[in-house]
Amino acid sequence: MEIIQKEENGIVAITIKGRLDADSSPEAEKVVKDALEGQTTRVLFNLASLEYLSSAGLRVLLGAAKEMRRKDGKIVLCALNEFVKEIFEVSGFQSLIPIAESVESGIQELS
Amino acid sequence: MEKISTITESILLVDDNPTNLQVLFQTLDGVGCKLLVAKNGEMALSITDKARPDLILLDIMMPGIDGYEVCRQLKSVPATADIPVIFLSALGDTEDKVKGLQLGAVDYITKPFQPDEVIARVNTHLTIHRLKKEVESRKDQLEHELKVVSEVQQKLLPKQLPEIDGFKLAVHYETSRYAGGDYYDIIELPDNHWGFLIADAEGHSAPAAVLMAMTCALFRSYPGTTTDPSKMLQYLNEHLCKVADPSFMTALYAVYDANQKTMRLARAGQPLPMIYRFSEKQAIEFPCPGVYPLGIEPYEIEIPVTEMKLEAGDRFLVYTDGVSERFNAEGDIYGEKRVLQLLATNRADKPRDVLAAIMADVERFADKLPADDDQALLLGIVE
Repeated sequence: MEIIQKEENGIVAITIKGRLDADSSPEAEKVVKDALEGQTTRVLFNLASLEYLSSAGLRVLLGAAKEMRRKDGKIVLCALNEFVKEIFEVSGFQSLIPIAESVESGIQELS
Repeated sequence: MEKISTITESILLVDDNPTNLQVLFQTLDGVGCKLLVAKNGEMALSITDKARPDLILLDIMMPGIDGYEVCRQLKSVPATADIPVIFLSALGDTEDKVKGLQLGAVDYITKPFQPDEVIARVNTHLTIHRLKKEVESRKDQLEHELKVVSEVQQKLLPKQLPEIDGFKLAVHYETSRYAGGDYYDIIELPDNHWGFLIADAEGHSAPAAVLMAMTCALFRSYPGTTTDPSKMLQYLNEHLCKVADPSFMTALYAVYDANQKTMRLARAGQPLPMIYRFSEKQAIEFPCPGVYPLGIEPYEIEIPVTEMKLEAGDRFLVYTDGVSERFNAEGDIYGEKRVLQLLATNRADKPRDVLAAIMADVERFADKLPADDDQALLLGIVE
Protein backbone atom coordinates (compact mmCIF):
# COMPACT_ATOMS: atom_id res chain seq x y z
CA MET A 1 0.00 0.00 0.00
CA GLU A 2 1.05 3.54 -0.72
CA ILE A 3 -0.58 6.54 0.88
CA ILE A 4 -0.07 10.13 -0.22
CA GLN A 5 -1.53 13.19 1.41
CA LYS A 6 -1.71 16.77 0.18
CA GLU A 7 -3.72 19.86 0.82
CA GLU A 8 -5.11 22.10 -1.88
CA ASN A 9 -7.72 24.88 -1.75
CA GLY A 10 -8.73 23.88 1.77
CA ILE A 11 -9.29 20.24 0.85
CA VAL A 12 -7.17 17.48 2.32
CA ALA A 13 -6.71 14.88 -0.42
CA ILE A 14 -5.58 11.40 0.59
CA THR A 15 -4.62 8.96 -2.15
CA ILE A 16 -4.46 5.28 -1.23
CA LYS A 17 -2.90 2.85 -3.70
CA GLY A 18 -2.57 -0.93 -3.66
CA ARG A 19 -4.07 -3.08 -0.92
CA LEU A 20 -5.68 -1.67 2.18
CA ASP A 21 -5.97 -4.75 4.38
CA ALA A 22 -5.24 -5.98 7.91
CA ASP A 23 -1.48 -5.58 7.31
CA SER A 24 -1.50 -2.07 5.87
CA SER A 25 -4.47 -0.53 7.69
CA PRO A 26 -2.62 0.37 10.93
CA GLU A 27 -0.26 2.61 8.93
CA ALA A 28 -3.14 4.07 6.91
CA GLU A 29 -5.10 4.66 10.10
CA LYS A 30 -2.24 6.66 11.55
CA VAL A 31 -1.73 8.79 8.41
CA VAL A 32 -5.46 9.47 8.09
CA LYS A 33 -5.79 10.33 11.77
CA ASP A 34 -2.90 12.81 11.57
CA ALA A 35 -4.26 14.31 8.34
CA LEU A 36 -7.68 14.95 9.87
CA GLU A 37 -6.36 16.64 12.97
CA GLY A 38 -6.65 20.38 13.42
CA GLN A 39 -8.85 22.60 11.28
CA THR A 40 -9.49 20.13 8.47
CA THR A 41 -13.18 19.97 7.60
CA ARG A 42 -13.09 18.82 3.98
CA VAL A 43 -11.41 15.57 3.03
CA LEU A 44 -11.30 13.68 -0.25
CA PHE A 45 -10.05 10.12 -0.68
CA ASN A 46 -8.72 9.32 -4.14
CA LEU A 47 -9.15 5.55 -4.41
CA ALA A 48 -8.58 5.20 -8.17
CA SER A 49 -5.55 2.96 -7.59
CA LEU A 50 -6.92 1.07 -4.60
CA GLU A 51 -6.91 -2.57 -5.68
CA TYR A 52 -8.29 -4.29 -2.61
CA LEU A 53 -10.04 -3.26 0.55
CA SER A 54 -10.67 -5.58 3.49
CA SER A 55 -12.92 -4.99 6.48
CA ALA A 56 -9.91 -3.55 8.33
CA GLY A 57 -9.62 -1.03 5.47
CA LEU A 58 -13.32 -0.19 5.72
CA ARG A 59 -12.73 0.55 9.36
CA VAL A 60 -10.06 3.15 8.48
CA LEU A 61 -12.45 4.95 6.11
CA LEU A 62 -15.29 4.65 8.60
CA GLY A 63 -13.06 6.23 11.25
CA ALA A 64 -12.39 9.17 8.92
CA ALA A 65 -16.11 9.58 8.19
CA LYS A 66 -16.97 9.56 11.89
CA GLU A 67 -14.28 12.12 12.63
CA MET A 68 -15.58 14.40 9.88
CA ARG A 69 -19.12 14.07 11.17
CA ARG A 70 -17.93 14.94 14.67
CA LYS A 71 -16.30 18.11 13.31
CA ASP A 72 -19.31 18.87 11.15
CA GLY A 73 -17.08 18.50 8.10
CA LYS A 74 -17.44 16.77 4.74
CA ILE A 75 -15.87 13.63 3.34
CA VAL A 76 -16.04 11.95 -0.05
CA LEU A 77 -14.50 8.81 -1.55
CA CYS A 78 -13.65 9.11 -5.24
CA ALA A 79 -13.04 6.98 -8.32
CA LEU A 80 -13.49 3.53 -6.80
CA ASN A 81 -12.76 0.61 -9.12
CA GLU A 82 -15.51 -1.96 -9.74
CA PHE A 83 -14.22 -4.40 -7.13
CA VAL A 84 -13.96 -1.82 -4.36
CA LYS A 85 -17.29 -0.26 -5.33
CA GLU A 86 -18.93 -3.68 -5.03
CA ILE A 87 -17.45 -4.14 -1.55
CA PHE A 88 -19.04 -0.81 -0.56
CA GLU A 89 -22.40 -1.80 -1.99
CA VAL A 90 -22.53 -5.31 -0.57
CA SER A 91 -21.31 -4.23 2.86
CA GLY A 92 -23.79 -1.37 3.06
CA PHE A 93 -21.04 1.21 3.60
CA GLN A 94 -22.23 3.35 0.68
CA SER A 95 -25.00 4.58 2.98
CA LEU A 96 -22.44 5.72 5.56
CA ILE A 97 -19.84 7.47 3.40
CA PRO A 98 -20.54 9.54 0.25
CA ILE A 99 -19.00 8.20 -2.95
CA ALA A 100 -18.23 10.18 -6.12
CA GLU A 101 -17.55 8.79 -9.59
CA SER A 102 -14.45 10.91 -10.15
CA VAL A 103 -12.08 13.19 -8.28
CA GLU A 104 -13.62 16.21 -10.10
CA SER A 105 -17.15 15.38 -9.01
CA GLY A 106 -15.81 14.65 -5.54
CA ILE A 107 -14.33 18.15 -5.31
CA GLN A 108 -17.69 19.59 -6.41
CA GLU A 109 -19.47 17.66 -3.67
CA LEU A 110 -17.16 19.14 -1.09
CA SER A 111 -17.60 22.74 -2.22
CA MET B 1 15.43 -0.94 32.69
CA GLU B 2 13.73 -3.17 35.18
CA LYS B 3 15.09 -6.66 35.52
CA ILE B 4 12.56 -9.37 34.83
CA SER B 5 14.19 -11.87 37.11
CA THR B 6 15.60 -11.56 40.58
CA ILE B 7 17.84 -14.56 40.04
CA THR B 8 21.44 -13.45 39.56
CA GLU B 9 22.72 -13.86 36.04
CA SER B 10 25.78 -16.00 35.53
CA ILE B 11 28.72 -15.77 33.16
CA LEU B 12 30.91 -18.69 32.22
CA LEU B 13 34.60 -17.91 31.62
CA VAL B 14 36.51 -20.45 29.56
CA ASP B 15 40.31 -20.40 29.17
CA ASP B 16 42.97 -23.07 29.45
CA ASN B 17 45.49 -20.58 30.86
CA PRO B 18 44.99 -20.17 34.66
CA THR B 19 46.51 -16.67 34.62
CA ASN B 20 44.12 -15.50 31.91
CA LEU B 21 41.24 -17.03 33.79
CA GLN B 22 42.33 -15.21 36.92
CA VAL B 23 42.55 -11.86 35.13
CA LEU B 24 39.14 -12.34 33.53
CA PHE B 25 37.64 -13.29 36.86
CA GLN B 26 39.02 -10.16 38.51
CA THR B 27 37.90 -8.00 35.62
CA LEU B 28 34.30 -9.19 35.83
CA ASP B 29 34.11 -9.61 39.59
CA GLY B 30 32.26 -6.32 40.00
CA VAL B 31 29.55 -6.65 37.30
CA GLY B 32 27.09 -8.27 39.70
CA CYS B 33 26.95 -11.68 38.09
CA LYS B 34 27.79 -15.11 39.37
CA LEU B 35 31.04 -16.17 37.68
CA LEU B 36 31.66 -19.76 36.61
CA VAL B 37 35.00 -20.96 35.26
CA ALA B 38 36.09 -23.77 32.97
CA LYS B 39 39.68 -24.78 32.13
CA ASN B 40 38.88 -26.53 28.87
CA GLY B 41 36.20 -27.22 26.26
CA GLU B 42 34.86 -30.40 27.87
CA MET B 43 34.34 -28.62 31.17
CA ALA B 44 32.73 -25.67 29.41
CA LEU B 45 30.15 -27.96 27.77
CA SER B 46 29.45 -29.81 30.97
CA ILE B 47 28.99 -26.66 33.06
CA THR B 48 26.82 -25.06 30.38
CA ASP B 49 24.65 -28.14 30.34
CA LYS B 50 24.10 -28.01 34.09
CA ALA B 51 24.17 -24.32 34.93
CA ARG B 52 22.84 -22.64 31.73
CA PRO B 53 24.86 -19.43 32.06
CA ASP B 54 23.52 -16.20 30.58
CA LEU B 55 26.74 -15.42 28.73
CA ILE B 56 29.91 -17.30 27.80
CA LEU B 57 33.36 -15.80 27.29
CA LEU B 58 35.16 -18.40 25.28
CA ASP B 59 38.86 -18.80 24.47
CA ILE B 60 39.51 -20.23 21.00
CA MET B 61 42.88 -21.99 21.25
CA MET B 62 42.56 -24.76 23.81
CA PRO B 63 43.85 -28.31 23.90
CA GLY B 64 41.17 -30.94 23.26
CA ILE B 65 37.90 -29.39 22.14
CA ASP B 66 38.73 -25.86 20.98
CA GLY B 67 36.51 -22.80 21.34
CA TYR B 68 35.07 -23.06 17.81
CA GLU B 69 33.95 -26.62 18.47
CA VAL B 70 32.45 -25.71 21.86
CA CYS B 71 30.47 -22.94 20.16
CA ARG B 72 29.35 -25.25 17.36
CA GLN B 73 28.11 -27.84 19.85
CA LEU B 74 26.29 -25.26 21.97
CA LYS B 75 24.55 -23.80 18.93
CA SER B 76 23.41 -27.23 17.74
CA VAL B 77 21.38 -27.91 20.89
CA PRO B 78 18.15 -25.89 21.23
CA ALA B 79 18.52 -25.60 25.03
CA THR B 80 21.88 -23.83 24.74
CA ALA B 81 21.65 -22.30 21.27
CA ASP B 82 20.40 -18.95 22.57
CA ILE B 83 23.19 -18.39 25.11
CA PRO B 84 25.33 -15.54 23.77
CA VAL B 85 28.98 -16.44 23.20
CA ILE B 86 31.80 -13.89 23.05
CA PHE B 87 35.06 -15.23 21.66
CA LEU B 88 38.18 -14.17 23.46
CA SER B 89 41.47 -14.94 21.80
CA ALA B 90 44.88 -13.72 20.87
CA LEU B 91 44.00 -14.43 17.27
CA GLY B 92 43.35 -11.09 15.72
CA ASP B 93 42.86 -11.97 12.09
CA THR B 94 39.65 -10.89 10.41
CA GLU B 95 39.26 -14.44 9.17
CA ASP B 96 39.15 -15.81 12.72
CA LYS B 97 36.67 -13.18 13.80
CA VAL B 98 34.44 -13.96 10.84
CA LYS B 99 34.66 -17.67 11.55
CA GLY B 100 33.65 -17.12 15.18
CA LEU B 101 30.74 -14.89 14.24
CA GLN B 102 29.59 -17.31 11.56
CA LEU B 103 29.47 -20.02 14.20
CA GLY B 104 26.89 -17.90 16.00
CA ALA B 105 29.02 -15.88 18.44
CA VAL B 106 27.65 -12.41 19.25
CA ASP B 107 31.00 -10.70 19.62
CA TYR B 108 34.76 -11.08 19.53
CA ILE B 109 37.38 -9.57 21.83
CA THR B 110 41.07 -9.72 20.99
CA LYS B 111 43.62 -10.39 23.72
CA PRO B 112 45.33 -8.59 25.33
CA PHE B 113 42.07 -6.90 26.26
CA GLN B 114 41.19 -3.69 28.06
CA PRO B 115 39.21 -4.54 31.23
CA ASP B 116 36.80 -1.65 30.62
CA GLU B 117 36.09 -2.91 27.11
CA VAL B 118 35.36 -6.43 28.37
CA ILE B 119 32.99 -5.08 31.04
CA ALA B 120 31.20 -2.82 28.55
CA ARG B 121 30.72 -5.60 26.01
CA VAL B 122 29.61 -8.09 28.65
CA ASN B 123 27.02 -5.63 29.94
CA THR B 124 25.75 -4.89 26.43
CA HIS B 125 25.28 -8.56 25.61
CA LEU B 126 23.70 -9.37 28.95
CA THR B 127 21.19 -6.57 28.35
CA ILE B 128 20.42 -7.77 24.82
CA HIS B 129 20.04 -11.33 26.09
CA ARG B 130 17.77 -10.21 28.92
CA LEU B 131 15.55 -8.18 26.57
CA LYS B 132 15.40 -11.04 24.11
CA LYS B 133 14.28 -13.40 26.84
CA GLU B 134 11.71 -10.88 27.98
CA VAL B 135 10.28 -10.45 24.47
CA GLU B 136 10.12 -14.21 24.05
CA SER B 137 8.42 -14.75 27.36
CA ARG B 138 5.85 -12.00 26.61
CA LYS B 139 5.24 -13.52 23.19
CA ASP B 140 4.72 -16.97 24.74
CA GLN B 141 2.38 -15.47 27.29
CA LEU B 142 0.39 -13.66 24.59
CA GLU B 143 0.14 -16.77 22.45
CA HIS B 144 -0.95 -18.74 25.46
CA GLU B 145 -3.64 -16.21 26.27
CA LEU B 146 -4.89 -16.21 22.69
CA LYS B 147 -5.01 -19.98 22.77
CA VAL B 148 -7.13 -19.86 25.91
CA VAL B 149 -9.43 -17.29 24.26
CA SER B 150 -9.65 -19.55 21.22
CA GLU B 151 -10.60 -22.53 23.39
CA VAL B 152 -13.32 -20.50 25.07
CA GLN B 153 -14.55 -19.42 21.64
CA GLN B 154 -14.77 -22.99 20.41
CA LYS B 155 -17.04 -23.68 23.38
CA LEU B 156 -19.30 -20.81 22.32
CA LEU B 157 -20.00 -22.43 18.96
CA PRO B 158 -22.81 -24.99 18.72
CA LYS B 159 -21.52 -28.38 19.85
CA GLN B 160 -23.58 -30.18 17.28
CA LEU B 161 -25.90 -29.23 14.50
CA PRO B 162 -29.62 -29.77 15.03
CA GLU B 163 -31.68 -32.25 13.04
CA ILE B 164 -34.04 -30.21 10.90
CA ASP B 165 -36.95 -31.76 8.99
CA GLY B 166 -36.01 -32.05 5.33
CA PHE B 167 -32.98 -29.77 5.65
CA LYS B 168 -29.52 -31.31 5.81
CA LEU B 169 -26.99 -28.99 7.37
CA ALA B 170 -23.20 -28.70 7.59
CA VAL B 171 -20.76 -26.08 8.82
CA HIS B 172 -17.09 -25.41 8.23
CA TYR B 173 -15.30 -23.13 10.67
CA GLU B 174 -11.64 -22.29 11.02
CA THR B 175 -9.77 -19.37 12.53
CA SER B 176 -6.67 -17.85 10.98
CA ARG B 177 -4.64 -17.15 14.10
CA TYR B 178 -5.56 -18.56 17.47
CA ALA B 179 -8.60 -16.50 18.36
CA GLY B 180 -11.02 -15.42 15.66
CA GLY B 181 -13.87 -13.10 14.88
CA ASP B 182 -16.17 -15.40 12.90
CA TYR B 183 -19.28 -16.70 14.58
CA TYR B 184 -22.17 -18.90 13.61
CA ASP B 185 -25.09 -20.15 15.62
CA ILE B 186 -28.32 -22.01 15.11
CA ILE B 187 -31.35 -21.78 17.38
CA GLU B 188 -34.63 -23.62 17.40
CA LEU B 189 -37.68 -21.36 17.23
CA PRO B 190 -41.35 -22.20 17.76
CA ASP B 191 -43.38 -24.00 15.11
CA ASN B 192 -40.53 -25.74 13.30
CA HIS B 193 -38.66 -22.52 12.56
CA TRP B 194 -34.87 -22.31 12.82
CA GLY B 195 -32.63 -19.29 13.13
CA PHE B 196 -29.19 -19.27 11.45
CA LEU B 197 -26.75 -16.54 12.34
CA ILE B 198 -23.42 -16.05 10.60
CA ALA B 199 -21.27 -13.10 11.64
CA ASP B 200 -17.77 -11.74 11.22
CA ALA B 201 -16.08 -9.26 13.55
CA GLU B 202 -13.76 -6.80 11.81
CA GLY B 203 -10.12 -7.52 12.58
CA HIS B 204 -8.51 -10.55 14.17
CA SER B 205 -7.19 -11.89 17.44
CA ALA B 206 -8.34 -10.72 20.85
CA PRO B 207 -10.40 -7.63 19.89
CA ALA B 208 -12.36 -9.60 17.29
CA ALA B 209 -12.80 -12.48 19.74
CA VAL B 210 -14.31 -10.17 22.36
CA LEU B 211 -16.81 -8.83 19.83
CA MET B 212 -17.63 -12.36 18.72
CA ALA B 213 -18.24 -13.49 22.33
CA MET B 214 -20.35 -10.42 22.97
CA THR B 215 -22.50 -11.12 19.92
CA CYS B 216 -22.91 -14.72 21.03
CA ALA B 217 -24.05 -13.64 24.50
CA LEU B 218 -26.52 -11.13 23.04
CA PHE B 219 -27.88 -13.56 20.48
CA ARG B 220 -28.55 -16.25 23.06
CA SER B 221 -30.10 -13.90 25.58
CA TYR B 222 -32.59 -12.32 23.15
CA PRO B 223 -35.66 -11.62 25.27
CA GLY B 224 -38.45 -13.90 24.09
CA THR B 225 -38.32 -15.31 20.58
CA THR B 226 -38.65 -13.79 17.17
CA THR B 227 -38.98 -15.24 13.71
CA ASP B 228 -38.44 -11.79 12.23
CA PRO B 229 -34.77 -11.62 11.17
CA SER B 230 -34.78 -7.80 11.05
CA LYS B 231 -35.82 -7.62 14.71
CA MET B 232 -32.90 -9.80 15.73
CA LEU B 233 -30.37 -7.66 13.84
CA GLN B 234 -31.95 -4.47 15.24
CA TYR B 235 -31.55 -5.87 18.72
CA LEU B 236 -27.94 -6.94 18.19
CA ASN B 237 -27.11 -3.57 16.65
CA GLU B 238 -28.67 -1.61 19.46
CA HIS B 239 -26.38 -3.32 21.97
CA LEU B 240 -23.25 -3.64 19.84
CA CYS B 241 -23.33 0.10 19.08
CA LYS B 242 -22.49 0.70 22.73
CA VAL B 243 -19.32 -1.39 22.65
CA ALA B 244 -18.03 -2.04 19.14
CA ASP B 245 -16.65 1.38 18.18
CA PRO B 246 -14.34 1.76 16.27
CA SER B 247 -14.83 -1.81 15.12
CA PHE B 248 -17.95 -3.49 13.72
CA MET B 249 -19.53 -6.81 13.02
CA THR B 250 -21.05 -8.00 9.76
CA ALA B 251 -23.94 -10.41 10.16
CA LEU B 252 -26.60 -12.30 8.27
CA TYR B 253 -29.57 -13.76 10.06
CA ALA B 254 -31.85 -16.21 8.30
CA VAL B 255 -35.00 -17.80 9.69
CA TYR B 256 -35.99 -21.05 8.03
CA ASP B 257 -39.55 -22.27 8.17
CA ALA B 258 -39.18 -26.02 7.80
CA ASN B 259 -42.93 -26.45 7.25
CA GLN B 260 -43.20 -24.05 4.34
CA LYS B 261 -39.58 -24.42 3.18
CA THR B 262 -39.13 -20.67 3.14
CA MET B 263 -36.11 -18.69 4.22
CA ARG B 264 -36.45 -15.10 5.42
CA LEU B 265 -33.24 -13.19 5.79
CA ALA B 266 -31.78 -9.90 6.89
CA ARG B 267 -28.25 -8.83 6.07
CA ALA B 268 -25.88 -6.34 7.71
CA GLY B 269 -22.67 -6.08 5.72
CA GLN B 270 -22.28 -9.83 5.19
CA PRO B 271 -21.69 -11.24 1.67
CA LEU B 272 -24.84 -12.14 -0.26
CA PRO B 273 -26.14 -15.66 0.38
CA MET B 274 -25.80 -18.12 -2.47
CA ILE B 275 -28.45 -20.46 -3.72
CA TYR B 276 -28.31 -23.43 -6.05
CA ARG B 277 -31.63 -23.99 -7.78
CA PHE B 278 -32.11 -27.67 -8.50
CA SER B 279 -34.77 -27.01 -11.12
CA GLU B 280 -32.55 -24.57 -13.02
CA LYS B 281 -29.27 -26.37 -12.34
CA GLN B 282 -27.54 -23.11 -11.57
CA ALA B 283 -26.21 -21.17 -8.61
CA ILE B 284 -26.63 -17.45 -8.04
CA GLU B 285 -25.87 -14.85 -5.42
CA PHE B 286 -29.31 -14.17 -4.02
CA PRO B 287 -30.18 -10.48 -4.43
CA CYS B 288 -30.84 -9.37 -0.92
CA PRO B 289 -30.74 -5.69 0.06
CA GLY B 290 -29.00 -5.04 3.34
CA VAL B 291 -27.75 -2.46 5.77
CA TYR B 292 -24.28 -1.56 6.99
CA PRO B 293 -22.64 -3.79 9.65
CA LEU B 294 -23.68 -4.02 13.28
CA GLY B 295 -22.09 -1.82 15.92
CA ILE B 296 -21.59 1.38 13.91
CA GLU B 297 -24.73 3.40 14.58
CA PRO B 298 -28.49 2.86 14.91
CA TYR B 299 -30.28 2.09 11.64
CA GLU B 300 -32.46 4.94 10.44
CA ILE B 301 -34.41 2.63 8.16
CA GLU B 302 -36.06 -0.66 8.88
CA ILE B 303 -33.73 -3.51 7.98
CA PRO B 304 -35.03 -5.06 4.75
CA VAL B 305 -36.15 -8.69 4.92
CA THR B 306 -35.91 -10.88 1.84
CA GLU B 307 -37.87 -14.06 1.50
CA MET B 308 -36.88 -17.01 -0.64
CA LYS B 309 -38.87 -20.12 -1.37
CA LEU B 310 -36.80 -23.28 -1.40
CA GLU B 311 -37.58 -26.46 -3.32
CA ALA B 312 -36.36 -30.02 -2.96
CA GLY B 313 -32.73 -30.26 -4.08
CA ASP B 314 -32.00 -26.55 -3.57
CA ARG B 315 -28.83 -25.65 -1.74
CA PHE B 316 -28.44 -22.58 0.48
CA LEU B 317 -24.99 -21.27 1.34
CA VAL B 318 -23.82 -18.46 3.61
CA TYR B 319 -20.16 -17.77 4.28
CA THR B 320 -17.76 -15.16 5.61
CA ASP B 321 -15.44 -13.18 3.35
CA GLY B 322 -12.37 -15.04 4.65
CA VAL B 323 -13.35 -17.71 2.11
CA SER B 324 -14.01 -15.55 -0.96
CA GLU B 325 -11.17 -13.15 -0.14
CA ARG B 326 -8.50 -15.77 0.29
CA PHE B 327 -5.28 -14.84 -1.52
CA ASN B 328 -2.55 -16.82 -3.22
CA ALA B 329 1.13 -15.86 -3.31
CA GLU B 330 0.65 -13.96 -6.60
CA GLY B 331 -1.81 -11.66 -4.85
CA ASP B 332 -4.83 -13.05 -6.75
CA ILE B 333 -8.10 -13.30 -4.89
CA TYR B 334 -10.22 -16.48 -4.80
CA GLY B 335 -13.48 -14.62 -5.38
CA GLU B 336 -17.20 -15.37 -5.07
CA LYS B 337 -17.40 -16.71 -8.63
CA ARG B 338 -15.35 -19.79 -7.79
CA VAL B 339 -17.56 -20.50 -4.78
CA LEU B 340 -20.64 -20.12 -7.00
CA GLN B 341 -19.20 -22.40 -9.64
CA LEU B 342 -18.48 -25.15 -7.13
CA LEU B 343 -21.92 -24.80 -5.64
CA ALA B 344 -23.36 -25.18 -9.15
CA THR B 345 -21.30 -28.18 -10.17
CA ASN B 346 -20.63 -30.23 -7.04
CA ARG B 347 -23.22 -32.99 -6.81
CA ALA B 348 -22.30 -34.52 -3.45
CA ASP B 349 -25.39 -35.48 -1.43
CA LYS B 350 -24.01 -34.59 1.93
CA PRO B 351 -23.58 -30.88 2.66
CA ARG B 352 -20.42 -31.74 4.57
CA ASP B 353 -18.88 -33.13 1.39
CA VAL B 354 -19.82 -30.04 -0.61
CA LEU B 355 -18.13 -27.79 1.96
CA ALA B 356 -15.07 -30.04 1.98
CA ALA B 357 -14.88 -29.71 -1.81
CA ILE B 358 -15.14 -25.91 -1.60
CA MET B 359 -12.43 -25.70 1.07
CA ALA B 360 -10.19 -28.10 -0.86
CA ASP B 361 -10.53 -25.84 -3.89
CA VAL B 362 -9.78 -22.74 -1.78
CA GLU B 363 -6.67 -24.43 -0.37
CA ARG B 364 -5.56 -25.50 -3.84
CA PHE B 365 -5.97 -21.92 -5.04
CA ALA B 366 -4.11 -20.45 -2.04
CA ASP B 367 -1.29 -22.91 -2.73
CA LYS B 368 -0.01 -23.08 0.86
CA LEU B 369 -0.31 -19.34 1.51
CA PRO B 370 -1.98 -19.35 4.95
CA ALA B 371 -5.34 -17.66 5.46
CA ASP B 372 -5.12 -14.21 7.04
CA ASP B 373 -8.79 -14.17 7.96
CA ASP B 374 -11.19 -16.62 9.59
CA GLN B 375 -13.30 -18.77 7.30
CA ALA B 376 -16.82 -19.94 8.06
CA LEU B 377 -19.43 -21.55 5.79
CA LEU B 378 -22.88 -22.92 6.47
CA LEU B 379 -24.68 -25.01 3.87
CA GLY B 380 -28.18 -26.45 3.90
CA ILE B 381 -29.60 -28.88 1.35
CA VAL B 382 -33.38 -29.18 1.04
CA GLU B 383 -34.60 -32.78 0.84
